[in-house]
Amino acid sequence: MNLHYLTDSIARGWRQLASRRIYMVMLIVVPVLFGFFFLDLLEVGLPLKVPVAVVDMDDSPLSRQVTRNLGSTELVDVRCKVESFHEAQKKVRSGEIFGFFYLPEQFQKKALGGDEPTVTYYSNLTYYVPGSLAFKGFKTVAVTTTGALVQTTLVSTGIDSNTTKSLLQPVAIQQQAPGNPWMNYSIYLSPSFMAAFLALIILGVTVYSICSEIKYGTSPQWLRTAGGSMFIALTGKLVPQTFIEICMGMAYLGMMFGIESFPCNNHFSHLVLAMVLMVIACQAFAVAVCCVVPNLRLALIVVSLTGILSFSIAGFSFPVQNMYGSIGILSYILPVRYFFLIYIDQALNGIPLYFSRFYFVALLLFPLVAMPGMGRLKKRCLNPIYVP
Amino acid sequence: MTNAATNIKQWFLGFFRVWQREFYLVFHDVGVMMFFFLLPLLYPVCYTLIYNPEIATDMPVVVVDHSRTAESRRLARMLDATQAAKIYNYAPDLAAARRILNNHDAFGILEIPEDYSRRLGRGEQAVATFYCDMSLLLRYRTFISALADLQLAIGAEIQAAELSQVAMVSSAVPMTKINSDARMLGDPTQGFASFVMPGILVLILQQSMVLGVVMLGATASERRRRNRGIDPLQVQAPAGATLLGKVMCYLTLYAPIIIYVLRIVPMMFSLPHVGSDWDYVLFILPMLVASAFMGQCISWLVTEREETMLAVVFTSVVFLFLSGLTWPRYAMSPLWVLVGDMIPATWGVEGFIRMNSNGSPLYEQAHPYRMLWLLAALYFTISYALLRFYRSGWYTRRLNRRNQVSDNA
Repeated sequence: MNLHYLTDSIARGWRQLASRRIYMVMLIVVPVLFGFFFLDLLEVGLPLKVPVAVVDMDDSPLSRQVTRNLGSTELVDVRCKVESFHEAQKKVRSGEIFGFFYLPEQFQKKALGGDEPTVTYYSNLTYYVPGSLAFKGFKTVAVTTTGALVQTTLVSTGIDSNTTKSLLQPVAIQQQAPGNPWMNYSIYLSPSFMAAFLALIILGVTVYSICSEIKYGTSPQWLRTAGGSMFIALTGKLVPQTFIEICMGMAYLGMMFGIESFPCNNHFSHLVLAMVLMVIACQAFAVAVCCVVPNLRLALIVVSLTGILSFSIAGFSFPVQNMYGSIGILSYILPVRYFFLIYIDQALNGIPLYFSRFYFVALLLFPLVAMPGMGRLKKRCLNPIYVP
Repeated sequence: MTNAATNIKQWFLGFFRVWQREFYLVFHDVGVMMFFFLLPLLYPVCYTLIYNPEIATDMPVVVVDHSRTAESRRLARMLDATQAAKIYNYAPDLAAARRILNNHDAFGILEIPEDYSRRLGRGEQAVATFYCDMSLLLRYRTFISALADLQLAIGAEIQAAELSQVAMVSSAVPMTKINSDARMLGDPTQGFASFVMPGILVLILQQSMVLGVVMLGATASERRRRNRGIDPLQVQAPAGATLLGKVMCYLTLYAPIIIYVLRIVPMMFSLPHVGSDWDYVLFILPMLVASAFMGQCISWLVTEREETMLAVVFTSVVFLFLSGLTWPRYAMSPLWVLVGDMIPATWGVEGFIRMNSNGSPLYEQAHPYRMLWLLAALYFTISYALLRFYRSGWYTRRLNRRNQVSDNA
């Protein structure tokens, strides 16, 4: 008895997806295009060779040596030598360069005479990634230049070169970056951003498909197909979408870990499971929103807001631990946050599944949260009123 | 009166009627008002609050000290004293430290080898290792920069002490040294909100405009569907007057919003804010015009009010990346640079950041400014062509025919 209601509802769900162009566009075309766009955009991994300039006010052998050193690092690309500080500033403001290295007048004379000249490097941090890379490149060159000079002086005073090495840098702190030793920006950004994008689409489509029944007054008929059960009605409507969305999720995982060969240091199936659970959790989140605000426009505004803010608030770029507590805590109501944490644990760090257990449990809890509000949604579905 | 004069008079009459009618439409539509007013009012505040702590500080680190000497403890203490790190705990070995990391209690491990102080005493180079959690690039960047400074500071200290031991009074040798000084332009505190917000603000302006305009267009399309292809609220006016009249309405509405988003929000959160206020207003004007016309082009694709959100919201993510804010445009392939060139916000973000954060005057942003006017002209032309095509009646006739068929069926 129940089973035929369920199959009828599912059939109705498929028909609804086929009824309007927007469903297929949003569920298939947009996610696929976004996947290609995103992975192709970040294909390089790290935007090396940041365009920078050198302001050489000294023009001595030593300052030219520094300029050559700058040119030989992979981080920066010395596009031009400019004649003055102001010209360099102007080039920064016009966006031609992302920073410049300033060598003062009488640089060589002071350096060799023990007069401690100061080199200054300017990085434009309004663009974070290129600005940081330029900074790193400049700093390396500044430090090594000093080092080379000191070494020359020390050796000339009769200290052997082994001792000078330890004198120059008595303590070295080696940095290990397990998981992403290439600092590949795509590995760090793509999994979280693509999952958040999929979540955004899922939230929107789920709300739209549920609340548009109320808008067009077809919701009583929708419930009738399900034999009056809100649960069966929702299941029937959402199962076809879940199917397509999981396919999209798998396609994303395949693109990232298959084609792009992102590191996956634990079993791949953990990520697959996390993706499936995230898709369902996002749908449950959308259903919960529909239960609280059973109005197409308001519900869509709420999920669009959460979907877009989740890119920031889920802590993909700025750590949740450093956000204000009252804001950081909101990240934990977002399914995509848990997917992100599972990805970090399982794929990037490859730690045992045990440490991610709570994240899986949290994702499983989302459907339960949506349950209590169903009565309210049902009431509204039986008396559909459209508020534009 | 001559014919031409009548035409011009009619044109302006239509223009003002459209302008007036658009006001009516906006203020009688809660959905549109939310996009035009509530969104630019709340979003900047929400976003800035998320990023307002600006920098990651006191990130917990575990220390594995195999040396257990005064020198190794000093290294750990100095790391603890940096702004970036805080010693969470000591662990007996790397495995125990890994377990703390796995439990998400710390984000880095400092391992000090057994021979750390012995090597220092012998005048050899001592090497410690720092393992950094790579989940967030911001965290990694902060750690690395703190460690580099720490290494230099400790190095200088030991160097000075040792030089005097290597059988020399160090002042006797002219000690060569070059000081270096790092300056951050545009975002001197290296804060995250200060970097990302100026760009986001411009993007919010564009997206709120596009959302509102598309929703108005889609609502008109719903009205037309209900009335067999005729919109009862439409004003009879030439195509150009219709398009420009609508845009004039939006610009009037956005005047206070621009001041709020581009001036008051940065002030509220002490974001970088140099450069002249008039320059922003002049600069952002073509971006709003271009966004409004772009919205009018998109609105022909959207036939239902609420579809607006589905169809427009996700583009924010795409536009954000195309603008080059997070991923620099010089590293994009020519295709994406070209696609980005077509989006008003790309030029808007670029120019606004340079004016707002780097203090560039408007005349130095001539290129983005010209591109924005060019885009405005381009999208005006496209929406003009679309409107003329629609008014030719071909589409309405086809729609009516199709409706008739479905009615008969």
